[in-house]
Amino acid sequence: MAKILGIDLGTTNSAMAVVEIGQPRILENKEGMRTTPSIVAVGKNGERYVGVTAKRQAVTNPRDTIYSVKRLIGRRFADEEVQRDRKLLPYEIREGKQGDVEVKLGGEWKKPAEISAMILQKLKADAEDKLGEKITEAIITVPAYFDDSQRKATKDAGEIAGLTVKRVINEPTAAALAYGFNKKKDEKIVVYDFGGGTFDVSVLEVSEDTIEVRGTGGDTHLGGDDIDQKIIHHFIDEFKKESGMDVSKDQLVVQRLKDAAEKAKHELSSTLQTEVNIPFLTADSAGPKHFNISFTRAKLEELTRELVDRSIKLTKETVESAGVKISDINEVVMVGGQTRMPLIVEEVKKLFGKEPHKDINPDEVVALGAAVQGGIMQGYIRDVLLLDVTPLSLGIETLGQVFTKMIEKNTTVPVSKTQTFSTAADNQPSVEIHILQGERAMAHDNKTLGRFILDGIPPAPRGVPQVEVSFDIDANGILNVKAKDKATNKEQSIRIEGSSGLSEDEKKRMTADAEKHAAEDAKKKELAESRNLGETLVYTTEKMVKENDAKIKEEDKKEINEKSEALKNVLKLENVEEIKKATEELSKVAQRVGGELYKAASAQNSSGEPKQETPPAEESPKEEPNK
Amino acid sequence: MDEEKKQTEDTKTDVLPADTNDKAEEYLNNWKRERADFLNYKKDEFKRLSEFAKFANEGVLMEVIELMDDLETASKKIDDPGLAQIIKKLEEFLKKYDIEKIAAKKDFDPALHEAVSTEARPRQAEGEAGEGGDKIEEVRAGYKMHDKIIRPARVKIIKNN
Repeated sequence: MAKILGIDLGTTNSAMAVVEIGQPRILENKEGMRTTPSIVAVGKNGERYVGVTAKRQAVTNPRDTIYSVKRLIGRRFADEEVQRDRKLLPYEIREGKQGDVEVKLGGEWKKPAEISAMILQKLKADAEDKLGEKITEAIITVPAYFDDSQRKATKDAGEIAGLTVKRVINEPTAAALAYGFNKKKDEKIVVYDFGGGTFDVSVLEVSEDTIEVRGTGGDTHLGGDDIDQKIIHHFIDEFKKESGMDVSKDQLVVQRLKDAAEKAKHELSSTLQTEVNIPFLTADSAGPKHFNISFTRAKLEELTRELVDRSIKLTKETVESAGVKISDINEVVMVGGQTRMPLIVEEVKKLFGKEPHKDINPDEVVALGAAVQGGIMQGYIRDVLLLDVTPLSLGIETLGQVFTKMIEKNTTVPVSKTQTFSTAADNQPSVEIHILQGERAMAHDNKTLGRFILDGIPPAPRGVPQVEVSFDIDANGILNVKAKDKATNKEQSIRIEGSSGLSEDEKKRMTADAEKHAAEDAKKKELAESRNLGETLVYTTEKMVKENDAKIKEEDKKEINEKSEALKNVLKLENVEEIKKATEELSKVAQRVGGELYKAASAQNSSGEPKQETPPAEESPKEEPNK
Repeated sequence: MDEEKKQTEDTKTDVLPADTNDKAEEYLNNWKRERADFLNYKKDEFKRLSEFAKFANEGVLMEVIELMDDLETASKKIDDPGLAQIIKKLEEFLKKYDIEKIAAKKDFDPALHEAVSTEARPRQAEGEAGEGGDKIEEVRAGYKMHDKIIRPARVKIIKNN
């Protein structure tokens, strides 16, 4: 089935996505970028530029470079917005025959929908290039406040570009879809969209089979660009204070300051302070002038506080005028690159008293949601295919009470995993399989799900028997654990139904516990592992001495004996360093003696070591069978 | 009566298998589709990963390029062979990662250039008389990595009029 392209046709930038294997994915454009500037231009020689190339030539060709055409699409020329934007936009705008808007591009008058179509055409071509297949259908998003005429014009743009527009959906709805909130019945959602040039707030209500827009608001001339401008002006002022020079008229210098402002803004989303360092910014008769200031997050917030506060005020008003109480809002979704700013997240959180959703890239979430809508329409995203994941890791207890994970947390089910274990003692007749769930390193800190015993293991030295343990979780979350002795094919199993029957709180607590105790758990695990290593070494060394009694010199035997006793003594203690040291010492002697034995025997063929599988081994040789 | 009961059972079993067969067919097909999707996804993912690996260093190298910009700006103001040597060293370093400067061109090409300002100069002032088109003057070098433009050259447009 051909893919449906999900398109976020933005005022400043556009993005596109498709669904693959039930998951939406952003498609990069031909230039390798995940978003495409919504700009179209016609150059001197009549060649057409769309996207980043149009943006790059804008300065030199302002009258034939059309940007922000979304502000005009489907509007009447007499509209207040058109009249206002007409003054800000550098290209020619006139009234069409039907009272609509026309823009001049390359000497020809065009409808805004035709300009949008050029952007869509590029996206379509780039998507086809990327996917290697034809794209004929699309879902296009529009702001929730778009009226019928604006929606129809957007749809026309799609058709002109050669796309069958399956549906025009609201941007906030797309964002909610990307988060899968269409399944949250009766919830009220606020979408806070702080884009490059526009700020939109929407209140959504999810019902049985629809997502209804309850209210919209915002400011069509408030965006991340305003924040950048504040920073640039601050830099210009600082430089003036320092050098006495006004660089605001020098385009090249302003360009360098703009680069630095963007960079600083991004950095201050993750750090509290950054250094703005532009050597040789400009020069006067006294020589070159450099710009070097320290710029803090606090300063950035002080500069932009007014803009953020305005957005919060608008959000509050929008929710209230939708007839919804702030406290009734169930989810808040962040859209637009500017929402990466910590101050914005903090203020939104303060307003609603809950953490806003921002896990999905805010520049891409709308396009992803549009793709999800396409996926739903094609039936790619079916409820059946929404697979569960294991909330916590599952595994068994192994030697030294260590929790050995078989299935990691967040693994998609159904899944099965098999691992081979062995015995911990010579002639051990049975192994106990102790099934646990959790994230802690030591077995007893996790939750026991069940246990059983596999007996009838034929007598053999430790480490020789091979017990295959398999975990299988089916699509219903039922866990089957089976243990099989490979020598006798004897097996024993257990079925655990409620393996994911944990409450949300329980899951959270267990995960948090694991994080809290991570360091101490790692220490315990290290102790258990070094003990295991020490014990194994004592065992193998003693075995070597026993088997080669006649060939080993008495003094070596004595040394081995001493070192081995010393190790056995420290093994009782809880000191990892001591154990490691004693193990190391015994190991050195054992290796030297072993090496001599090997040399002596090299003329003949020495007897092969028994093959040993994965070292963790079951300890407690309990005898009574489980059932 | 036995006969009758058998009959009804037969008719029942007649209907059931057909239905189950349909279901089984549907499930099998869905499963095949899912397997195929997965295998195709793996292939695509492999391609994406190789592409990703190819440009994995891009972010870090971009910052190195920024240092290079500063050094080049400095070298325009300070004539020092040592500085020139540092620039050469950095150039060699970038070359190791298949990063090269975009060769200067006479005409503006938005695929390679980003215009940052325009300036009108009388024609006579320009050395190359005869050609009528606009000239460009590079203010910051552009770079390509494995033939992909990772940063266009910043240029000033000199209008000839």
